[in-house]
Amino acid sequence: MKKTVSLILASLMLMLTLSACSGNSGGTSGSGGSEGSKNTGTTNSGSSGGSQEVTVWAWDPNFNIAALKLAKERFEAKQQDITVNIIEYAQDDIIQKLNTGLNSGTTKGLPNIVLIEDYRAQNFLQAYPDAFRDMSDVIKSDDFAEYKIGPTSYDGKQFGVPFDSGATGLYIRTDYLEQAGYTVDDVTNIDWNQFIEVGKKIKEVTGKDMLTQDPNDLGLIRVMAQSAGSWYLKEDGKTPNIADNPVIKEALETYKAMFDANIVKMNSDWSQFLAAFNNGDVASVPTGNWITPSVKAEASQSGNWAVVPIPRLGGSSSSVNASSLGGSSWYVMNMDGQDAAASFLADTFGSDSELYSDLLEQIGAIGSLKAAASGSAYEKGDDYFGGQKIYADFAKWTEEVPKVNYGLHTYAIEDILVIEIQNYLNGKDVDSVMRDAQTQAESQLQ
Amino acid sequence: MKNRFRKPGGQRLFTKLFLIMTVSIVAVCLLTSLITIRMSERLFAETFSITNGKVLQQIQTSLSSFHDSIVNASTFATQSGTVKSYLTSEESDSVSMSKLYYRMSEQVNQMNSNLGAFDVSVMITGVNGRSYSSDRAYWPVTNSELAKEPLTARAVANANRILYQYDQRMNGDEAEHFLIASKAMVDRTSGLPYGMLYVSIREQEFRRFFANFTSVGNDVVVLDSSGKIVSSNRLELIGSAEPELLEDAQRIVSNQLDYQSGAVFGKERIILSNYLPSYDLYLVNLIDRQYTAGQIINVQSVALTCILIILFALLVVFIMSRRLTSSLTRLVRQMSTITKRDFGNYITVKGGFEVQELGKAFNYMLDELNDYIRQLLDTQKEQRNAELAALQRQINPHFLYNTLASIKMLVQKGSKETAAETINALISLLQNTISNVSETIPIEQEMENMRNYVFINHVRYGDRIKVNYFVSPDCLEYEVPKLIIQPFIENAFFHAFNEKNEGTIYILISKNENTLVCEVVDNGDGMELNGESNVLPNSKSHRQLFTGIGIQNVNHRIKLLYGETYGVHISSTKGEGTKVRIIMPLLSKLDGTEELEGQTK
Repeated sequence: MKKTVSLILASLMLMLTLSACSGNSGGTSGSGGSEGSKNTGTTNSGSSGGSQEVTVWAWDPNFNIAALKLAKERFEAKQQDITVNIIEYAQDDIIQKLNTGLNSGTTKGLPNIVLIEDYRAQNFLQAYPDAFRDMSDVIKSDDFAEYKIGPTSYDGKQFGVPFDSGATGLYIRTDYLEQAGYTVDDVTNIDWNQFIEVGKKIKEVTGKDMLTQDPNDLGLIRVMAQSAGSWYLKEDGKTPNIADNPVIKEALETYKAMFDANIVKMNSDWSQFLAAFNNGDVASVPTGNWITPSVKAEASQSGNWAVVPIPRLGGSSSSVNASSLGGSSWYVMNMDGQDAAASFLADTFGSDSELYSDLLEQIGAIGSLKAAASGSAYEKGDDYFGGQKIYADFAKWTEEVPKVNYGLHTYAIEDILVIEIQNYLNGKDVDSVMRDAQTQAESQLQ
Repeated sequence: MKNRFRKPGGQRLFTKLFLIMTVSIVAVCLLTSLITIRMSERLFAETFSITNGKVLQQIQTSLSSFHDSIVNASTFATQSGTVKSYLTSEESDSVSMSKLYYRMSEQVNQMNSNLGAFDVSVMITGVNGRSYSSDRAYWPVTNSELAKEPLTARAVANANRILYQYDQRMNGDEAEHFLIASKAMVDRTSGLPYGMLYVSIREQEFRRFFANFTSVGNDVVVLDSSGKIVSSNRLELIGSAEPELLEDAQRIVSNQLDYQSGAVFGKERIILSNYLPSYDLYLVNLIDRQYTAGQIINVQSVALTCILIILFALLVVFIMSRRLTSSLTRLVRQMSTITKRDFGNYITVKGGFEVQELGKAFNYMLDELNDYIRQLLDTQKEQRNAELAALQRQINPHFLYNTLASIKMLVQKGSKETAAETINALISLLQNTISNVSETIPIEQEMENMRNYVFINHVRYGDRIKVNYFVSPDCLEYEVPKLIIQPFIENAFFHAFNEKNEGTIYILISKNENTLVCEVVDNGDGMELNGESNVLPNSKSHRQLFTGIGIQNVNHRIKLLYGETYGVHISSTKGEGTKVRIIMPLLSKLDGTEELEGQTK
C-alpha cells in the first residue's frame, strides 16, 4: 500500500515537472520569418472529369494580359469545363523560369501556356523541342501571316499560335511634312535614303529631328533586315550572317547615314522614347503597330499624324515596304492538360476573328490571323490619323512582311552589334565592323 | 451510500481529509504553474531581447552593405566625366550624341553592377534637363514631378551626404512605397550642383533586409527622423507618422538600453531600437509581449495539464481516503458490537495496512480474552468437580452405621436372608458411589443404585413409603452423572411424609424431544413454594443423610455441566405432593464427553 502511494506521488511529480518544462521550452527562438512563397502557376488538369484549369503566363498588362482576359471571357462563356488562370510576370522572369524549369528537365511549376517573343522562340523550340506541344493538329499555319510561321515552327511542326502582328509602319507628322513642303504621298513607299532626305529637309525647316533612337536598341536594323528577308543569322538559325551580308551592310550604312545627317534624337529608355514624339521633338516614328496607343496618348497632336508603309532598303532589290518588329506567340507546354490548353488557343487566338476585332477595338492590338484582317473594325477610319484606315493598312502590310528565320541568337548578336555600331559611328570602316562582329559572334556562339 | 455517508464518524473523517487534500492539490498546482509561467515570461523577455538585439545588429550589417553599395555607385557617378557631360552638355550632332548616350548607358550599367545584388533603380537628372533611368517603370516619376518634389530640395540642401527619404507613388489605386537614396552631384571647382542621383528601392524590396526576421507578434518598423514609418513588415503602418514611437526609440538609443517595455499600437510590447547613422533612420523591433509569450508559453496547455493533474490527483485522493476511512469506519462499527458481551465477534481483517494491523491486534485480543474466559471456566468446573468429589466420597457415617445397625437387628432377629440382601445392596451402593465423581453412568445403573438405596431404606424404616419406577426403555442407555436423582428420593423419603404416614414416590424417566426428563413425584405433604417453581428449597437446614450432595448442588451441577437451559424444576402443592423435574441433555456413552466440551466453549 505504501509503495503504491509513493509511486503515484512520484508519477504526479514527474508530470508536473514535465509540463513545466514543456511550457518553458522554445523560449529563445524569436525569429524565423515566414517565407512568403509566390504561388506560381501550378498546373494540374488531369484528364479526368470535372473542370480543368489552364494556366497562362504572359507579360505586359496593357497589351498581352488584356488580350488574354478578353480571350478567357469569350472562351469560358462557350464552355464550362476549362478554367483559364492568367498569371502576369515580367518577360525576363518568364524567360528565366522557363529556362530553369526546362533545364532541370521538369515541367513542374511551369504553365500550360506561355507567351514567347518571336525573336526568342527558336531558342526554346530548338533547345527543348519535346517541351512544347505540336499544334499542327488544331491550327493551320496557312491561316496566319506567313512571316509569323518561321519563328513559331520548327522541324516542319507548328508549335506556336501566332499572336500579335509586329507589322511596322512609319508614323509621321503631317504638319512637319507640310512645313518642309512635302505631302504624305512623298513619304509613301519610299526607301530609307529618301527618308533621310526628307528628314534633312524637315530638320532644316523646323529644327526637329526626324526620328529618335536608343543606341542600345537596334530595332531599326532588324526592321531593315527583315524588310529584305534577311537576318543576323543564316537560314539554319545558328550561323551568324553578318560579314558578307549585303542587306546588313546596307542597313548599317543607312543607320550611319541617319546619324551623319544629324536627324536622330537620342533616348535612353522607353519613356524618353515616348516623350520624344509625344513632345513633338521628332517628326516620325518607324516602328511596330503596337505603338499606336502610345502615339494617340498625346491628344493635342490629333490629326497631325499619318501612317505610311515602312521605308525599304534602296540598294537591296529584295527589300519591300513591309517589315516586322516585336510580336510574340503562344506556346503550349507538353505536359498534363495540354489538350485543354490547345483547345483554348485553337478556339481563341487560333481561329476566333471576332475576338481579334474586339482586341483591335479595345486594345488596338492587331493579330496575325489572316481571316481577322477583314473585320469591320479594320475598315474604320481613325480621326487621330486624319481618318486613315490604319488597321486595314496594317493588316495589308502584315501579309507582305517577308518571312525570316530569327534563329537562336538574335539578342546575343545584337549585343555585339551595339558596341560595333558605336565604333562604326565613330569612324570605323563598315567592312571591318561587320567582320569583327562576325568573328565575335562566331566565337561567342560556338 | 446515503446511509454510509450518514454515519457520522466516517463521513466527518472522509470529508475533512478530502477537503484538505483538494485544497492543497489545487493550490500547489495553481501556484506552481503561475510561478512557472511568470518566470518563463520574464526569461522569454530577456532572451528575446538578447536574440532580437543580435537580429537587429544583423539587419544593420546587411543594411550597411546596401548603403556601401549606394555610396560606391554615387562615388562612381560623381567621378564619371561621361555622366557629368551627359548631364551638363548642350545638344549637338546625332553622332556625338549617340556616343554620349551609349557611353552613359555603359556608365549606368557599371553603376548598376555595384548595386547588382539589390533590386533597385538608378535615376540621374541633370541641370540640362536630361535624365537617365535604369528602369523608369520601377519608380514611376517624371522629371518635372521630380524637380518639384520636396525630397529633391532636401537632397540639394544636404549636398554632401546621401539622404534616405520616404516616397509614395500611386500605381493605379494602390500606393507604392519607396525609399529613395539621393545625392546631389556637385562640381568640384565651382561648387555648383550639376545633377542629382536617385537610387530608389521599393519598400517591399527594402523590407527584405529584415522581413525574414519578423513573424506574427514580432514586428520591425523603420522610422525616419521625423517619426514617419518608412518601412515595416506591417504593411498598414507604412507611411504613417508615429512620433511617440520615435521618442521611445530615441530614448533607447541615447540611454543605450537593451530594451524597453511600453504600449505601442495599443498593445504591450517589448521595444528594441537601433539607430542607423548612415541612413538617419531608426530600426525598431516591436515584440508583442502577450502574443509571442502566448505562442511560447501555451497557457492553455499548461492549464489543461494542471486540470488533468488535479482531476487525477483528486480521483486518487478520493479513492484512497475513501478506502482508508471506510475501513476505519467498518472497524469502528465492528468493534462497537463487541461491547455487547459477545467476545466471539471477530473482525474481518481487510482494508489499509494500519487498519489490518489494528484488526489483527483486536482479534488477537479477543482470542486472549476468550482463552482467559475458558481457563476461568475450566478452573471453576474443576473446582466444582473437586467439591462434588469430596462430597460424594463423604458418605454419611450415620447412614453406614444406621444401616449396619439395621443389619445387626436383622441378624439378631434371625432373618438372615434379608440381612444378606441388605448387605449386598449396601456393597453395591458403596461400590458405585465411591468411584470417580466425573464419570457418568447409564440410567440403568443409576436405577440399580436407586433400588439398592430404596431397599436399604425399606429395611431400616419399613415399607410404608413405596417407590415405583417408570423408566422408558429407550432411555436406559443414556448417561447421567452419578447420584443425580438420589438427593430427591432422599428428600422425598425423609421430608415428604411427615404428616401422612404412607405414600408413594414415583420415579419417571423419559425422553422429551432432545432432552432427558427425570421426574421424582411424591404424593406426600407438599409445601408452600410461594408460586416460584424454580426456587429450590434450602436444603442446608437438613442434614444430608446419604452423601453431602444436596438438591441445590444437583441443580448447580447440571447447569455447570450442560448449560443454563438445563436444570431442576420443582412444583409442589400443599397436601398433594411435590414434583421434581430434572432436565438433562441426551448423552450416550460415546459422545458424552465431547458434547460437554462443546458446551463449555
